[in-house]
Amino acid sequence: MRKKVLISIVLLLAAIQFIRPARNRNDKITPDDLTVVLVPPEEVRMSLKNACYDCHSNNTDYPWYFEFQPVAWILTWHINEGKSELNFSEYGTYSRRRQTSKLDAIANNIEDGEMPLKSYKILHKDARLRQDQKNLIIKWARNESDRLQSER
Amino acid sequence: MNSSLLFVTLLSLLLCDNTNSRFNENQQTKSAKGIVDVYLQMKDAFAEDNSKGAASAGKKLADALTKFNEPWISEEQKKVFEDIEEDALEHASHIAENSGNIVHQREHFERLSKDIYDLVKSFGGGRELYKISDKTYNNGKGAIWISETKDIKNPYRGKKDLKKGSVQEEIK
Repeated sequence: MRKKVLISIVLLLAAIQFIRPARNRNDKITPDDLTVVLVPPEEVRMSLKNACYDCHSNNTDYPWYFEFQPVAWILTWHINEGKSELNFSEYGTYSRRRQTSKLDAIANNIEDGEMPLKSYKILHKDARLRQDQKNLIIKWARNESDRLQSER
Repeated sequence: MNSSLLFVTLLSLLLCDNTNSRFNENQQTKSAKGIVDVYLQMKDAFAEDNSKGAASAGKKLADALTKFNEPWISEEQKKVFEDIEEDALEHASHIAENSGNIVHQREHFERLSKDIYDLVKSFGGGRELYKISDKTYNNGKGAIWISETKDIKNPYRGKKDLKKGSVQEEIK
């Protein structure tokens, strides 16, 4: 009986390898990208790119293990969730109000340690931001939020 | 003579039948009162450190926002509303989805309060409302909330520091 269950699992795993979700890939930096709209300092731009863009932009850097299911499903789910919350590539299309809300959210989530996700940091060394890197992002995001609001 | 006096008395009683008598029926219905009322429930929940209550109000608020489609709004006003609605909806949804994480909910409440303030300024709240400020909240960044009373019940600090805050504006 146990042998039959094991074989079924192996067969199922083999079968799902043929399901390949579309890749979130667009190598262009569009004019709506946050880094083009707000022009953050280079340090902040690099931190955002390394720690956030995989899930929060139209351009994910896929790892080798994306070739395997159910990993691909899980990653795709994360990417879709991330993009629906905040998409750096489409930041320029947001209303001024939403842009400032998102800047506040970036600052709050990094300060609280909610972002980047723990599971993401385990596998991505570059996403493990140092405290000084985090502080730079937080300070920048809060200043930009105030600036945008005062310009309304 | 007596019946005229009685008539006048009855009439004045009818006209002054509630504390919101400054706001006539027209001002109450042609306003965002429905949305504001739910926001005030959420505010009270936060003041009581009631994360679950705030989440439930978040769900109701999202509902109230999407259902708001009043025939008296001009095309111009519609654009103003939709701008606020888009953002407020996201915050209401986040508050609804994060029962148990009051810190995260309060972060969204901060932005939501700004949206509701703008909403009231543009469309009226249909009742007496005040803008209250907590200047030192969140490491000096500060935050505001809208209240139906001048009585300070801080939704950001709850029991820890309930009376912290000061009335900044009586919203007319």
